[in-house]
Amino acid sequence: MSNHDTTAPILSARGLHHSFGQTEALRGVDLDVHPGEVLAVMGPSGSGKSTLLHCLAGVLVPDGGSVTHCPAGRAPLEISALGEPKRARLRLTDFGFVFQFGQLLPELTAVDNVSIPLLLAGTRRPEALRRSTDLLDRLGLDGMGAKLPGELSGGQAQRVAVARALVTSPAVLFADEPTGSLDSLASENVLTLMLELVREAGTTVVMITHDARTAAYADREVIVRDGAIGAGYRVSA
Amino acid sequence: MNNSLTLLGLLSREPSYGYDLKHSYDRYFGAGKALAFGQVYSTLARMVRDELIRALGEETGGGPDRKKYEITVAGQDRVREWLFTPDVPSESLQSELFAKTVIALLLDDDADRLLDVQRGEHMARMRELTRLKKDADLLRVLMCDHGLFHIEADLRWIDLTSARLTRLKKELQSA
Amino acid sequence: MNPGLLKLAVVGSRSAYGRLAGIAGGVAVGVCLLLLLWGGANGLSARDDRGAWLRETGSPSVSVPRAAGDPSGSGPATPVPLGSDTALMETNPAEVFRDQLISRRDFAALASTTVKIPGIGTPPEPGQYYASPALQRLIESTPRDELGDRFGTFAGTIDDAALPGPDSLIVVTGATEAELRQSGGAALVSDFTTNPYGGSAAPYNTVLSIGAIAVFFPVLLLISIVTGLGAAQSRERFATLRLIGASPQVVSRIAAAETAVPSLIGAVLGVGLALLLRPAVAQIPVNGTRMFAADLTTGWAAAAAVVAVVVAASALVAARRTARAGIGPLGVTRAVHEKTPTMWRSVPLLAGLASMTTAIAVTRTPHLRSPLLEMPLLIGGFALILVGIVVVGPWLTRLVSRLGLRQARSAAAVIAASRIQRNPVAAFRSVSGLVVAVFVVSVFAGASSIIESTEAPPTTPGLLQPTSLHATVDAGHTPAQMSEAVRHAKEMRGIRSATVGYGPAALSDRDASPEIYLRAADAPALGFQDIPATEIVTVDTSFLYFWTTQPRALTPVPAANLDGMVPVVIVLGTDGTPEAMDRARTLLNSSGVTAHPATTSPMDTGLQSPTRLIQGLAVLSYLGMFVAIAIAGLSLAVATASAVLDRKRVLGLMRLMGMPVSVLRRIITREAAVPLLTVLLLSVGLGFLVAWLMVTGINDTYRMTWPAPDYFTALGLSLLLALGAVTATFSLIRANTAIAATRFE
Repeated sequence: MSNHDTTAPILSARGLHHSFGQTEALRGVDLDVHPGEVLAVMGPSGSGKSTLLHCLAGVLVPDGGSVTHCPAGRAPLEISALGEPKRARLRLTDFGFVFQFGQLLPELTAVDNVSIPLLLAGTRRPEALRRSTDLLDRLGLDGMGAKLPGELSGGQAQRVAVARALVTSPAVLFADEPTGSLDSLASENVLTLMLELVREAGTTVVMITHDARTAAYADREVIVRDGAIGAGYRVSA
Repeated sequence: MNNSLTLLGLLSREPSYGYDLKHSYDRYFGAGKALAFGQVYSTLARMVRDELIRALGEETGGGPDRKKYEITVAGQDRVREWLFTPDVPSESLQSELFAKTVIALLLDDDADRLLDVQRGEHMARMRELTRLKKDADLLRVLMCDHGLFHIEADLRWIDLTSARLTRLKKELQSA
Repeated sequence: MNPGLLKLAVVGSRSAYGRLAGIAGGVAVGVCLLLLLWGGANGLSARDDRGAWLRETGSPSVSVPRAAGDPSGSGPATPVPLGSDTALMETNPAEVFRDQLISRRDFAALASTTVKIPGIGTPPEPGQYYASPALQRLIESTPRDELGDRFGTFAGTIDDAALPGPDSLIVVTGATEAELRQSGGAALVSDFTTNPYGGSAAPYNTVLSIGAIAVFFPVLLLISIVTGLGAAQSRERFATLRLIGASPQVVSRIAAAETAVPSLIGAVLGVGLALLLRPAVAQIPVNGTRMFAADLTTGWAAAAAVVAVVVAASALVAARRTARAGIGPLGVTRAVHEKTPTMWRSVPLLAGLASMTTAIAVTRTPHLRSPLLEMPLLIGGFALILVGIVVVGPWLTRLVSRLGLRQARSAAAVIAASRIQRNPVAAFRSVSGLVVAVFVVSVFAGASSIIESTEAPPTTPGLLQPTSLHATVDAGHTPAQMSEAVRHAKEMRGIRSATVGYGPAALSDRDASPEIYLRAADAPALGFQDIPATEIVTVDTSFLYFWTTQPRALTPVPAANLDGMVPVVIVLGTDGTPEAMDRARTLLNSSGVTAHPATTSPMDTGLQSPTRLIQGLAVLSYLGMFVAIAIAGLSLAVATASAVLDRKRVLGLMRLMGMPVSVLRRIITREAAVPLLTVLLLSVGLGFLVAWLMVTGINDTYRMTWPAPDYFTALGLSLLLALGAVTATFSLIRANTAIAATRFE
């Protein structure tokens, strides 16, 4: 949305290049993600969407180009120049992640799953459990905290994953096909609840999807095609 | 779909006779619904009047069918404007978008861009409908969903078409 | 089955090769060990069979008619004359060199004798000897006054067929009939027994069976663990096969085939490996001697049987596991729920303990005592306890992890405790090998502690010095002869004192005194400190026995005079070096004055005690223990690795979310440590309990003591190994949870 253009981007990628062996996944991507916006990243399979997300989130270090993270009230940080331990710490504290499926530890109860990032960040367990339970309640999972992932429906499990991603109050939430394995109603449910929380907290969202109805929840979308962003053609709404 | 702009687009390839234009049109778009000669000539006359095209050196014994037409600069601008202005998503859109895509390919213009622009418009409309759904009553939500699914169908067509543009272009050019 | 489908199932992807290699490798190691151990057990009994002739005791060489009118008395003994079908044999109970026991048999026979001594044939001429090759090498490499002088002239070597092992120290010497008759200990033999165990065959077999179970069990566990490698991935593949129309039976068959193929390859490799390693394994000394490499041969039939059984068993288990997993066309989308282990799991363990306890109770009840009853109870009980530990482990692990989860503070603790609590069976399987190994080690350590406790006796005033040797003196030797022997002894290097004890008659005589008379001046050489101020003192004869533990005091005998007495005992004090001891021994045995060549020092007693059997077994058991621990470490590494591989995706995603690799390492470490430590203490305790039951079951005079340092070394080794095994998987964690691992799924 144009009103974001006035503020400094929270994530800024410049000239991203990345290859896996002979395959060029990204060839010169520039992208600004503005604070508080919900950005949908679309594009055909194998276009480099996930690689872009991994570079933005500091999961991968791009072969070329840079990714800069400008958290509110802190000095800008060039993520692509950090070592893995520092990036891991950053991912833990500043970012949240939701994936398509299979991200919950099957042996842990829902509330334990949600509390893991807090425990990793050093929160005491009783406090972590309390915050996790609150968040699960807000995602409409009251009383489900003691269940195992295997006992939850797909939509419920995704909501637990959303709670885990948001429990540390991250600045940016990265979602890779968060509703990819859900039916229309369940995915609408998950997205609505997720975005409600996100907008309330002012969290920035970068969401990969190939589903237009999911992307329609975003403020804007970029299309990745053959490792580049098909930007510049879009009209303002 | 807009017949006159489609004819104008076909004409912008090269100067042609009305008779040839009708047959070109029928070949690309007239499947099951050929264009009447009368409609072609009245459209051409209107475009001459609007200075989008002009008739080339009139030949003897010339009825309208003996005239060769050529697109003007204003006509070319009009075609480009038409191509790259997205349409409001609607059920009747597809044939128009289809026509635009074919014309753009025939003109060797940027069909990709055309589809992207349209995709942007579709997404904007979907966002609007998605926003409307929030805090709306169920009846309204269902209405919005109806619209969303139809637009989504268009979008899928757009995606599929953009993935097939190269092949489509080859086929059109060899036809 | 369609060969194409089979090929697809067996080598579906590149990662499948790793799994197949793991199965093949594990089975190869397992089969190799099985064959070597089997060969070892065969070798032990073959060796005992060959050495059986040494157990021949013969019949008395004198006949003692019962005295008329007195049932308990006896008349004078009359010698039974030698015939052409008999030979006189004396078994020397204490032919010792350094710390080795030499089996010595002295023979005297008529020239016309038909008696054949195994490995030699006709008995040697007086003054000649036949020695085993190992002994002959020892004799040739040792100064004659330390060893060779004891036997005479070399006549030849004893054939391998009559030697337990290549290191057996056996000597057969020739003597005159008179010499052997004089000592009274010789027996008449006409042929040699072939029963190697005599009356103790049953307990020996019991111990051997228990040892075999103890050593084979970890091997079977290893095979079972490796064949379960990568079960999660194969479940996914099987789900795909089900989806494209394979019936559950077909999938089960494919599972069987894909385990059978690498198992077969591994088993065949194992047979080859065993063949290659056999000469090396034969070098390991068991019971004081190495094995003949041929003893370890199991034969092709046995090898084929092991291969067939291992392949069939692994295939059956894989098929059954797959069938039980209930893989549908949609795969196992939800976590497979393990059946929660309950208290019932303690039943086999308790049954095993009950069985062994019953066996002991039976042993203590004389009228019930019967090897037929004890042996199955002991062996069955032991097997039940072994199985019981593996069965009860998951239940205990779950109890502990439930407590742990409540107390958990860190993310690693929560994740590890939750996983263990949900999958206690899988979690315990990882460490089951090590737990069983520790149990086995504890049993062996406990059982062998009975011998360890007799090591290194201290020097105590009032008891015979450990560095001294004594021999009783035959009747008919004058003090003058003794002084000559003493003088001779004192000239020898390393011999510090030579003391003669006197009495009214030789100790073997009826009129022997219970006291030995000594010159007070000689007393300090025997280690006495409180010496009465008389010329002559006496000490009780029990002073000479090594089993005497209470110091004996000297009694002053002011009126006594040694002149009327005969020498009864000679005691040589040495500097304690093995050379001096052997010199003293050789001197005494060849001096001609001693009644028995049995010149013993407390140091030698361990070599002769009846516990030597168990000591020999302990060597075997430490060997088994090493194998068990090595296998257990291997299986822990394998199980830990597959625990990582099975959770590749979710762990990868956790890392992606910012979980440091160090947390993953802590998770894996905890998942191994909790079940291990939970059951480890139980294993140690049970091990010693079982050892005590076994030892007292075999002979209730045995006592157990604190285990040898070797045990703690072994325990430390197994913990180190566990640590190493877990650490070894760390690189696997890093590689398999990298981003690339989650990318293309």
